[in-house]
Amino acid sequence: LADLLNLCTSQQLSFVRQYVDPLLKKDPFTSLPNEICLRILSCIDDPKVLARASQVSQRWRELLADDVTWMKLCAKYDYDRRMSENHHSTPPFSTLRPPPNPIHSSYFESEHPTHSYPGATAVAPYMQGNSRSFDSSMSGAAPRRPKIRSYKSHFKQRHLVETAWKTGGQNIARHITQDQGVVTSLHLTPKYIVVALDNAKIHVFNTEGNQQKTLQGHVMGVWAMVPWDDTLVSGGCDRDVRVWDMSTGESLHTLRGHTSTVRCLKMSDSSTAISGSRDTTLRVWDIKTGLCKNVLVGHQASVRCLEIKGDIVVSGSYDTTARVWSISEGRCLRTLSGHFSQIYAIAFDGARIATGSLDTSVRIWDPNNGSCQAILQGHTSLVGQLQMRGNTLVTGGSDGSVRVWSLEKMAPIHRLAAHDNSVTSLQFDDTRVVSGGSDGRVKVWDLKTGQLVRELTAPADAVWRVAFEEEKCVVMASRSNRTIMEVWSFSPPEDVLY
Amino acid sequence: MATESNKITLVSNDGAEVVVDRNVAERSMLIKNMMEDLGEAAMTQSVPIPNVNESVLKKVIEWCEHHKNDPPAAADDDSDSRKKTTDIEEWDQKFMQVDQEMLFEIILASNYLDIKPLLDVGCKTVANMIKGKSPEEIRKTFNITNDFTPEEEEQIRRENEWAEDR
Repeated sequence: LADLLNLCTSQQLSFVRQYVDPLLKKDPFTSLPNEICLRILSCIDDPKVLARASQVSQRWRELLADDVTWMKLCAKYDYDRRMSENHHSTPPFSTLRPPPNPIHSSYFESEHPTHSYPGATAVAPYMQGNSRSFDSSMSGAAPRRPKIRSYKSHFKQRHLVETAWKTGGQNIARHITQDQGVVTSLHLTPKYIVVALDNAKIHVFNTEGNQQKTLQGHVMGVWAMVPWDDTLVSGGCDRDVRVWDMSTGESLHTLRGHTSTVRCLKMSDSSTAISGSRDTTLRVWDIKTGLCKNVLVGHQASVRCLEIKGDIVVSGSYDTTARVWSISEGRCLRTLSGHFSQIYAIAFDGARIATGSLDTSVRIWDPNNGSCQAILQGHTSLVGQLQMRGNTLVTGGSDGSVRVWSLEKMAPIHRLAAHDNSVTSLQFDDTRVVSGGSDGRVKVWDLKTGQLVRELTAPADAVWRVAFEEEKCVVMASRSNRTIMEVWSFSPPEDVLY
Repeated sequence: MATESNKITLVSNDGAEVVVDRNVAERSMLIKNMMEDLGEAAMTQSVPIPNVNESVLKKVIEWCEHHKNDPPAAADDDSDSRKKTTDIEEWDQKFMQVDQEMLFEIILASNYLDIKPLLDVGCKTVANMIKGKSPEEIRKTFNITNDFTPEEEEQIRRENEWAEDR
């Protein structure tokens, strides 16, 4: 045969090649057993490749319909994880994995008949109050969808949401208020979007951004508020703490006691709110009865920020210290001293306290013995924004930068040159950081790489507040001297989902 | 005797005898376990490998020879090393430049002989042949007949549109 080929002209040889080439080719998915085919597919981590492969032939389509491949892809993309901290207690995805090398998904399903897909799990109990409300409101819009039938559709849904976050998204509501006020507080809950302003008003919208109620009663700027189901507790310059029913718009209680502006408010359970004030005290309120249960005295200057976990409330003050208090005992357990200047922001997860200060540093404290575990330096101005999730801390400053820190290493991970001016608002989850600045811009960052993903919405005069959940982002900004609200949705249209 | 006891003889399904160092052959967990079960008795007789022909067996042994000093594979089957398709070391890439028949035979043999790292290299090689191609290009690559009706094809295209970059 070799001799024969040697006699051929190059034209004849290329004919031979054209003839032989296809004969040397074989469909791997008909040549190999399912188990190995699926193993090959599990090497592919690009959904586009898998989607294209399923269009090759009936056999390929059938293989690509195997849900194990998509389940693994969900795991690779961390799509099993929920954003909310409240979900962290749910068992990790790995426990849902089938035994190694299942060949058919039917095997997996029959072994675990009660298992539900990650996207189909019931809405997590709404445990809000002690943290910023955006931590607890992730399941807002999604659960109204029909149950997700497979990992493939779960992946598809999450993929579409992620793609929308990167390049798409829809501005579903744009509300131009008659206000010119500064937005002091913004909360997203499963039922409401709540906005507080320095002109004494509180606006309550539904989750789509349609106005429902305006809560009127405060006579001066509202500087702090906290929602809990239908209840809202608010406080501000008029020194009153007010309790509202957001479903009716009714004012339920006016809690009096503070002798100066209320600067911060959190709830520890459905009937307990704690306020911090410029009068240097914190007050513990029973909002059902409207009584003050305790006054926490100790700070020497304005109480600027507070955070609650269990029976412990931590407060940050302009007196440069933070204090750890027992709510039930109504006494100060520890004073955290070290900052050289006012504390503006505090985060507390039960195991660690983080404080941000005008002295440009961030300090990490042990709540149990009050020791300072680390001083994180890098900001060149006031650190006024701070969020902690697990071992990650993200801070924002008046220097316009956003910094991502590892609390395992107590070291910086990313330094984002985010805004030309102060960072006014900051939030992050497992995937992204969203920051708003007084330069009028809203920026979305990749938490892992630190890269800018996009700028959301057209530049405004100033961005007051930004808050987001899995498929939605709300921006409060000032445009042409008007305070406007924009609701951005990243939900895929219903018709492409199934 | 010492040198001899470190060699074993494998017999392919087409009757060819291949003599190989024991530590090379034991990259195969199947052979390793067999050796442990049989003890010294196994050293004196040849080991039949009924599912693998001579050319494939030689090729597999060539791989084992090159990788005989690799650290043992991680016990965790789903460890990160398996997940990245692109990271095939250069020698392995060259090794896998064979026709598709041989490639699939190597995959089957490594599966049968239980040589996980080789199986992974094989699977990754095939995965890389699929990546970055349109359905039609994939069909060409593997000489696959499009057995969809035009209507089916259009429906499936629409079903999968979501994954395309927009």
